Amino acid sequence: MARIQFKNVTKRYGALAVVRDLNLDIRDREFVVLLGPSGCGKSTTLSMTAGLEEVTEGELWFDDQLVNALPPHRRDVAMVFQSYALYPHKSVYENIAFGLRMRKVERSEVDRRVRNAATKLEITHLLERLPSQLSGGQRQRVALGRAMVREPAVFLMDEPLSNLDAALRISMRAEIKHLHNEMQSTFVYVTHDQAEALTLADRIVVMNDGLIQQIGTAHEIYDRPANKFVASFLGSPPINYLEGELARVGDALHFRRGDIELIVPQRLAARLGDCSGRPVSLGLRAEDVDERGEMTGGRTIRGRVTSVLPVGSDQFLGMEIDDHELFFRVGKDLRHAVGEVIGLSVDVNRLHFFDPASGKSLLWHN
Amino acid sequence: MRPNTPAASAAVTSQRLARPSFARIGRGLLLLTASVVFLAYVLFPVAWLVSSSFQNEHEIVSKPPHWLPHQPTAQNFAAIFEAGDKTVTYETRRKADPSSGGFIPSTASNLLPAMGNSLIVACSVVVLNLLIGVPAAYAMAKIRFRGRQVSIYAILTTRVIPDIALVVPFFLFIRNLGLLDSIWSLIITYLAVTVPFSVFILVSYFESLPDELDKAARVDGCSRWQTLTKVFLPLAVPSLVAVVLFAFLASWNEFLLALMFTQTPKSQTLPIVVASFTSDFTISFSFINAAGVLAIIPPVILALVFERYIVSGLTAGAVKG
Repeated sequence: MARIQFKNVTKRYGALAVVRDLNLDIRDREFVVLLGPSGCGKSTTLSMTAGLEEVTEGELWFDDQLVNALPPHRRDVAMVFQSYALYPHKSVYENIAFGLRMRKVERSEVDRRVRNAATKLEITHLLERLPSQLSGGQRQRVALGRAMVREPAVFLMDEPLSNLDAALRISMRAEIKHLHNEMQSTFVYVTHDQAEALTLADRIVVMNDGLIQQIGTAHEIYDRPANKFVASFLGSPPINYLEGELARVGDALHFRRGDIELIVPQRLAARLGDCSGRPVSLGLRAEDVDERGEMTGGRTIRGRVTSVLPVGSDQFLGMEIDDHELFFRVGKDLRHAVGEVIGLSVDVNRLHFFDPASGKSLLWHN
Repeated sequence: MRPNTPAASAAVTSQRLARPSFARIGRGLLLLTASVVFLAYVLFPVAWLVSSSFQNEHEIVSKPPHWLPHQPTAQNFAAIFEAGDKTVTYETRRKADPSSGGFIPSTASNLLPAMGNSLIVACSVVVLNLLIGVPAAYAMAKIRFRGRQVSIYAILTTRVIPDIALVVPFFLFIRNLGLLDSIWSLIITYLAVTVPFSVFILVSYFESLPDELDKAARVDGCSRWQTLTKVFLPLAVPSLVAVVLFAFLASWNEFLLALMFTQTPKSQTLPIVVASFTSDFTISFSFINAAGVLAIIPPVILALVFERYIVSGLTAGAVKG
């Protein structure tokens, strides 16, 4: 059991700050995913939690213990690595048992826990093998087993699934979620894969450039992005942006850009406040359009189809609208040819507005 | 990439068989000839050394030379092991006729003690190389600290300075320590010469092992020292063998520094004593060759013991992966 608190934590390598003024409170037994592009500081944050990297400034607390100076072997953490990092010269059994042996756990207890974990992960038949004789998925299971048997207070995972193929990744995701339910540990999981983050996390921490961009549940992060970075990072195909301006027409607030005119619903207009004439960046998620909806004024966009990319369950449609190429996700039954001019109805309740200069959301400021 | 499935290797084999057999035979012949020439070039001096060590002084200078001894004799070896009894002095030197053999250099009795000195020095240098080199290399390869790059470059730089340039500073250093004519002078200076290279071999090997392995071990509960001994050392055996061989051979063969620092049989090593045989009243080549045969035995034993690691060890670290 452990609550993890970062208080104004900064990590520098020489003059380069890779994590800046990080404040994060991870609750006991929570599943937190650190999400961001490579180089955003998420792995460094994980390494600091493990004690593998020193905290340059600020404080890191496990419950009521300040752990800044505590080496990894004195912290109750286990970690799963992207490359698995199994010991090549030890058998699977010894790999899993190693952490327990180092902690002087009794022999019979080591054996019981190793066999228990092996049974759960269905690798009992592999115990005598060497890592080099295993497939990627099997190695991943051994790496999980090695962390599991420790029964640590904090379970750290650094992109554990990114070396697996797509199908295996999805089934392992489910297993990790199951493991979390079973283990009574705090999980901190690093990934750049939005789908992993959205499916696994109790809370997601989106990071970029060493700074936290937003902290929230999957729902909050996706539906109420705090800025353009968060909005762009989640969603496939990514969110579309249209630069334009807001204008008050009678009682209603409109978004205008060239021929495009969208009516902003009351609920959103209220959040935007008085901003008539203000330039904004409109965010329109790829799936928030409907080709079957009513083509009423104020909630329709028209454009020329530039590409049709079927992806099985649905299709991605590229459309040129007012010299901009936007991408939408539409139903697979829709048959449009490249070059055709079509209209799509927009779910205006799900529009996003950002400040064009700062990129901050005008709707959801934290 | 090497084919590792039976099907793939079968395909390669059939491809080979399908080639014109003329080219295959030609290639085989070429390789065979080249190997034989190379082997002869490398082994001939050793063969002559061994052969002549079993000849007497008369036979060794015969024309044409005898490639194999016509009258094999163990007198040279016997002389080495009984050297104490047959000392030759200025007065008695005419009694032994060099051309008929039986002549023994006046310093012959120093040979076995010198061999002992050589062994002590070489083994100490090997052990200390490992004790110093392994932790140093691990630290440089896996721990980020201020001055890490500088120390790696400093170590590399010392390898491009020829030993002879260091003789004078070494000599002053050793004299000031009062270690002239002590085997400590050799151990200390040989370490200065060998440790940088050992560290260099080991750093490149440790760097080729993934950082995540180091991290995994530490999260699993190892201190830095335990990470080194329990995870890295078992994986580094080939490069450790390379270090052992290198340090042993460098110390065993070293001549220049030993010539400077040793004056009496108390500290003289094998190369020095063997060389001293050529500055005697008369030179007995067969005796020197017998000493040479003894001198190559320990390195050969070492090479045989570590044979299966040598090739991988010498290349380990040189190429990553």
